[in-house]
Parts: sequence; C-alpha cells; structure tokens
Amino acid sequence: MSYLHAPRLVFTGDFLSDVSTVNNDTAHYNNATFKPNFQEPGKGATNGWWNPEGGAVFDFQNCAVRQIFLPDGTTQADSSQDIIIGQLVVGAEGRPTGKMVDLDPDAQMVSALWCVQLRICTAQNELLFKGDIKTTCFRDLQLRQLDGGKSNGQPLGATWNSTLTNITWGELADSSPFLKQLRATTQGDKLSINLNPFGYYYAHNDGRFSLGRIIGSIGPYFEGEPTTFAPYRRLYGINYNSGIRSTYLNNTNFLVEADNKRLSIDFGASFPVANSIGTINFNQTLILAVSKIPLNYAATKDAPVFYISPNDVTEIGPLNYQSDPDWLNQTGGIVSFNNLSDETINALADNQLLVLTPSAAQTGQYAIIARESVDGLFVRADDFVQRLDDGDSVEIDFYAFQWGKPLANNVITLTLEAPTPDTPIGPQNPISELYGNNYPIDGITFQSQITTCEKGTAKMLLTGNAIHSPRHYIDGQVYTIDYQLNTVDPAFGTESVVLHLRDYFEVIEKPVWSDISDMMIQYSNLYPIMSKYVVNLSDPEDLIQKKNILIFAFSRPMEDTMHMPVTRDLSAPKRQTILNWLKDPVLTRTSSLKGIAEKPKSENPVAVGTALSEKQMKYKEAVKAKNGSFPGFPKTDNLFENL
Amino acid sequence: MLKIDSKFIQKVQQSEELEELYPLLQNAIELEHSTIPPYLTAMFSIKPGKNLEDRKIIHSIVIEEMMHMTIAANILNALGGQPYISNSDFVPEYPGPLPMGIGNGLIVGLEKYSKACVKNVFMEIEEPENPLVFKSFSLAATQDFSTIGQFYLALQQKIEEIAPIELPGDKSKQVTSAFFDPALLFPIYTRHDAVNAINIIVEQGEGTSISPLDQDGEIAHYYRFEELFKGKKLIKDDTAPNGFSFSGPDIPFNPDDVYPLFPNTKIAMLPTGSEEWNRMKQFNTSYFSLLQGLHKTFNGDPAGLDNTIGIMYDLKLTAEKLCATPFPGKEGYTIGPSFEYITVPSEIAV
Repeated sequence: MSYLHAPRLVFTGDFLSDVSTVNNDTAHYNNATFKPNFQEPGKGATNGWWNPEGGAVFDFQNCAVRQIFLPDGTTQADSSQDIIIGQLVVGAEGRPTGKMVDLDPDAQMVSALWCVQLRICTAQNELLFKGDIKTTCFRDLQLRQLDGGKSNGQPLGATWNSTLTNITWGELADSSPFLKQLRATTQGDKLSINLNPFGYYYAHNDGRFSLGRIIGSIGPYFEGEPTTFAPYRRLYGINYNSGIRSTYLNNTNFLVEADNKRLSIDFGASFPVANSIGTINFNQTLILAVSKIPLNYAATKDAPVFYISPNDVTEIGPLNYQSDPDWLNQTGGIVSFNNLSDETINALADNQLLVLTPSAAQTGQYAIIARESVDGLFVRADDFVQRLDDGDSVEIDFYAFQWGKPLANNVITLTLEAPTPDTPIGPQNPISELYGNNYPIDGITFQSQITTCEKGTAKMLLTGNAIHSPRHYIDGQVYTIDYQLNTVDPAFGTESVVLHLRDYFEVIEKPVWSDISDMMIQYSNLYPIMSKYVVNLSDPEDLIQKKNILIFAFSRPMEDTMHMPVTRDLSAPKRQTILNWLKDPVLTRTSSLKGIAEKPKSENPVAVGTALSEKQMKYKEAVKAKNGSFPGFPKTDNLFENL
Repeated sequence: MLKIDSKFIQKVQQSEELEELYPLLQNAIELEHSTIPPYLTAMFSIKPGKNLEDRKIIHSIVIEEMMHMTIAANILNALGGQPYISNSDFVPEYPGPLPMGIGNGLIVGLEKYSKACVKNVFMEIEEPENPLVFKSFSLAATQDFSTIGQFYLALQQKIEEIAPIELPGDKSKQVTSAFFDPALLFPIYTRHDAVNAINIIVEQGEGTSISPLDQDGEIAHYYRFEELFKGKKLIKDDTAPNGFSFSGPDIPFNPDDVYPLFPNTKIAMLPTGSEEWNRMKQFNTSYFSLLQGLHKTFNGDPAGLDNTIGIMYDLKLTAEKLCATPFPGKEGYTIGPSFEYITVPSEIAV
C-alpha cells in the first residue's frame, strides 16, 4: 500500500526552498580560481546564480488538507465531513526546519530533503499528527508549465516519494474518522507520502522568490514496501511537442484494485499547468482507456503522434478536469474511477492503460497522449542516491513489477556509465578545468547482475573503494550506475543509482590549520551565508572564537538538521579531522597531512572531447534547465489540440 | 531606569507558599525574554562584518539574557512550578513597557542600533538602583519604584525564608548547556542553588553595589552598554574614584554601518504576499517555533535546548537578510525583524 491507497489525503500549498546556488557550478569549487563575484547573484558561469546566500532551508508554507479519499470510494472535501479537511500542513516546530541539498554539483538532478518534519494541525496549533520524512531525493523531473516558466524561471516539476516515520498522533486525531482508519490500516508506525513540487521561483516576481507549489498525498504504508518510490504502475508521455522538443504528461502513477473494481490515477506530478501556481487553462478532452494491443511507441521529432482505433481500446471514461481552473490545487490531480466493469478490470490485468484525445487529423481515431510502460514493466532502486566513504558498503533494494505485481525471477542488469571527459578552460568554460565523472572505474565495486526473488525484489551490494582526488579540487567522484530489466521502455529509458564516493583520507589526529584550510576555504567560498553572518570559515581566528558552536554542528549526525556541512558532502575522516582541529586549534606546525597529498591523483581514462552518451547529454541539458541558464522554455499553445 | 511596579515586590514579600511565587517567577522569565528582541534587533541592524566590537558586546549581553531566562525557568521548575513560554501573552508588544514595568515608565521598541538607543533604552533597562559613577553621571534617585535587581533580591530573600533546603521540583527538568559555564548555569536542586543563581542574574545585569564587575570579574550589562555609549572600554584605574574609568581602548563606531531599520516594523506594514512579507512570515514562523521549542525544553525535555539553538541560527539568518532589505514604500528604511507571535499561518491562499 502507498499514497494512492485508501484512506488517503491530499494537501496542496507552497514550499519554501532556500537552496544555495554558488555550489551549482563545479568550477566554483576550485579555490585557486575563485573570485568574490561568484558570490553575487546573477546568471552565467562567472557568478553565483540566483540565490548565492541561500541557507538550504526547506519548509511547507500555506499548505492545507484539501480532500480525503475513503476505502468505500468516496471523496470528501468539506470540513464538516471530517475534522482533517482544511487543516494546516506545516513543518517542524521546536527544532530547525528541514534542508534541501544536492548530492554534488555533478549530480544535481537528485536534490534531497533532509530532516523535514511534517505536521498537520489546526489553526490553533493543535496537533492531528506529525512525522519525519525519511530522507529522499527527487526523481522524474518533467516539464509542467505551459507558459514556459516565464514568471518563475523554472518550468519543471519533480516528485519526492518517501515514508513518514516516528508518527505521533495528536489528541485530536481521535476526532477524525479518516485518521482512525488510516491509523488502523497503516503498518509499523509509518505512513506513505508523495510530494510533487513545481512552479518554483528563481525570479523575484509575484512575491514568490524561493517559493514553489507543492502537492502532497499521504496514505498507508505496508512493511517491506519501497520507501522512496511508489510501487505502482506508470504512464509515460508519448506525444512529442515540437515547441518544447519533448513530451508532456510524463511519469504518471496509477493503481488498479481489482477487488474494489477501482482505478486510481495520480496526475499530480505530471498534469500540464498554465502557470506557476497550477492553474489549468486547456480543456482538451482526455480519455482513459485500456489498450487491446501492446504498444511500445516513443515519441520523437520524426514520429510525434501515435494513433489508435476505438476498436483497439476499452474506454474507461473521460478525465473531468475542465470544470475548475483550480482543479489541480483542489484535488492534487488524483482521480479514482470506481465501479469499473469486469471487462475493464480484466483488461487492466495485463494490458496497458492509455490517455487518449480524439484526433483532429485522423477522424474517428484517438491520438495517444500517454501510455503505460511497455509490458507493464517497472523496476526501481530504493535509496538510489548514496554517499559513501572508502570502505563503506551498502545494500540497495531493487523492486521489479509487471502490471503492478511483483516480478519474480527476472534479471536486473547494472552498468557503470562511461567516464565523461575533462573539460579544459575555454570560451564555454571560463573559470577552471572541469574533471569528468565515473572514474576510476575500480573506485566502486558492485554486482552487475541481480535476480529478483519471489517477492520481486533483489539486493545489490555496492562498495566504495579508495580513490585519490580524481576531480582534483572537489572531493571524491560521482558515479552513475544504470540499471534495467531485459526490456527497456524507449519512452523512459533506464534508471540510475547515483553515488558520491568521497576521496580516501586518513584522520589526522593533531591537525594544523593548513591541514584543513583548503576544505574550510572552499566552504567559505561556496556558502557565503555562513561567512557573512555566522563565522568566517576561511579565518582560523574566527573559527577559534566560535569553535564551541562549530564543534556542536560538526558533531551532529547526518540525520540531524543541524549537521555541518549542510550539504552532507564531507567524508567522515575529513569531518573528524576538522573536529580534531577545532578541539585543539593549532595554526602552524610541520604539517602532518596524510592521505590525499601523498597519492597520485586518479587519471581520467578518456580523452578530452570524447562524446557523451545520449543520457549524459540529457543530464547536461537538464542541469542547465534546472539552473535557469536556458534562454527560456517556449510557451505551449493549444496543448493536445489538432492532433 | 526600568521601574518595576512595586506591587510585584510586595507580592513577593507577602508570599507564604512557594506556589505564590510561581506567577512572579513566570514574570521574571517574561521580563528576561522581553529584553532579547530589542537587543537582537539592534545587533542584527549592524551590517555584517562592521562595528565588530559593538556587535560583540551586544552579543555577549544577549547570550547572558538567554541564560538568565533559563535560570529563571530553572528556579520556577525547582520550586515545583511550570514555565509557560508558548502563548501570545508571553511576547510583549513593541514598542511598549516591559513586563512588570510601571505605566508611564520606560517604553522599549525594536530599533536599529544607535548610541541614543543604547543610552535611552538599553542602559535604562539594566540600570541598577545606585549606578556606580565613574565619570560624571547624575542619578535621579527615587524610592517609589524598584529595579529588576531589587525584584530578584526580594525573590531571593523569600526563597531563603520559605523554601525547604531541598527544593521540591522535578530534578530532571533542570536545563543546563555545554554552551554555558557550569559555574553560571547549573541545575537548581537546593535553596542554596537558587540563591546563588539569583546572584548571577543580578550581578551580570547590574554589577554589585561596590563594583561594575560581577563575581566572575565580568563587566555587568549596564556598564557594558555604557562602554558602547561612551565609545570607550571600561578598565581598572586606581586613580579613579571607584577604581574604574572609561579610559580603555576606543570602541570605534560608524553609524553608516548600521542598516536604517524602520522602527518597530510589523508584518502588517508590508505588502501582503510580497517577497518581504513572506520573509517576515518566515522570521515569525521561526520565532514561534523557537518559543515552542523552549517551552518543551523547560517542561521536561532539557535536551531540546540544542534544537532551539539551531532555530536561533535560522532566526538570525532571516533577520539579517530582512535588515538589509529595503522597506517597500518607505524610502531610506530597511525592514526590522518584528518578533510577532503567530500561531500557524492562517492565510492559506489557493
């Protein structure tokens, strides 16, 4: 069970994400070439992007429970029906807010929530329940805004899926029949949560700088299920839009419950919106149907639209989203179709779900907007983002499904992506040489093949080995391991495990300032908010003066919101060395530096100019889009019309 | 001088049971807290990296006020009472009188740092009954009112008079912190502990009747503020009448390195829904969270103090950014942190 199962609630509102941006540029990590203007706001590689003084704060704002869905198939949206409806969804209280941080400047598409607490309470701050969101990284970035993000600057949306842990039920929870049911249904003091952020503001417009829209849903969680993605069936967009050179309506989760004769589908992560606050302004008829024939199309520039005959589908019904421009904000984009016919339920058992629109070009035909994954297959790694030190091993759980059911005895193949080349200084890269990723190849050890068990799951052991500054001025290396079942859906491609392996380093028991100065100066450069307002990290005298609070922060576990560094990118031995210095801050002595300086740096095995794979190119483009360095996404008119 | 309404001293003196002291210690907690927003606002108004000595001195005083608040809560817990931190009455309206202050008394607001503010407000708050005069300083003595120090000394006397040697409170509620000297912030288990703790509050604020230093040799708040006002460090001076004079090193101050905060900024003064409004909301959300955290800390979760320290940094960062932000529609001003008590935001706009 997960967030689409009943009983579930939907909340919508805003989120605050005060991420810092000097560190969005890998070249900014090079202390030798760092310049003060990299801490100034502005676009381009030579300055600090849109929020150089960010402090990584993540919080819920203006969020409220909009509606609930009950096991009997009814939806309630009126606060007279259940006390939970209309209540506020807020962040932590009595401790600092959660944080949002990237894994690495070379892995910016997996931004994580750390230490975020979610509370649902009344306007008088009476608790209904609260829980801690298990650390989770976003996935499934997709284009949302038909206006191209003109006002806010970021037209993409994403999805965080996680579990709420350490659930505390407030006294008022007993007054909510919904919460009683949820509490009785869920297992192990946990709940399932799904969050779809979009409409994020880089721009100082509309009073919404550093705010975005968020759609959340919370449902029951069952032990043994994945904790960072929903174990559901998926639709992928296959209607190519030439304006955006991509597809809309990608990555849609849905759940078929044969016993309840019900289909629940979540457009919260995918539905195209007119603007940054989620207004719907197109009204094309969209129909859900089950295909009678297997489809494996993927949209391309040369094959932008696919059609299907009404004879080849079993229609479920239209998606009624047009009645209210605020439909998405009120419903979260989740729709349940109840009382489906046996024919439909049987068809859904092993056939693809489709989203269709009547074709204008081919009379009597449907144009296909989105289709279910090929053969209903879906494979995902839980905890797919890892931070490892030399010698650390981690077992990653993989889950495979077909038609929403566990897929047993299937091979999952894992492949380390090819090393990417270094980028020398040049007109497109003016600050510093950039080093490639995915090398040295022996930096990680992992299983290249695993087989799912009866439950459709498999474990993959991943170990980090000693590496020696392959990226010179930035710690460690980023590795991307792609994984797949035998069949790869061309509309989606492969998924990845992304790893930051930290450099080999031995703890220095009695460090002097020069042993840690490079690290501290780098943090000082990248996080001006610290040096400006709290402590000048590049000044040992200032560090000594404030050492107590620094020892406090550097000693906190990574799962503590006050952990330093907030980016959680420092290896344990380096962190310990900093702590050792803070406890006995010696400025000069003959340096006893061990580790990194003594070993030759790992060489990039590929030559400058080596071509990137298609997936690596896509990542590069996506990072540009994420950082707002694209000239702007075009506006999309007449969505899904005239097909 | 911050004139405490004498009725509070009378209440202390008339108390026969420890329970009768609970509301008075609650008042003490509220009074200690009420000095923190004005001091912090002044400190945050100083531009980053500028007027460093001024900032340092205010910071040292604010930290001690936080400790005093903790001590007052510890005493209340030790006597068997219960501190209340998280309610709207806890937060004073600025500008306004401080808790227990008399009508027509000192009005305290949230303003930028200036010598005038130090002299007219901060020194007044901390002024002892009989300030030591190190240079020319005229004292308008009055018998009608009491000082904070006198209030605490009355409490101290009463505790000595009516409290048992072993205090009745739950020992596990005592709050200490690695960030404070255990000689200053210690658990209060006995009457003796309570007496000592009150001495620390009084002496850190006012000094002693014969010295500007407290027992640890630290200059009391009143005289630290006087240093700021005079722009000179107070040092030992055997030739001076009280053994000290403001003849130490200069404390350089550049008024241009202070942001021009609009006095007593309120969130309602900002355009609803604007970026500035949202940031102020964020500030007040942190402040609310901090008070909630402190409430829990002082009510049986002493380890929670660490978390509140984290919120203080959130609060500080938001406040300093506000102070640098031009005030919409008020040319020449920037935005001060408003320290308004909000419950969870009621403006849910969809």
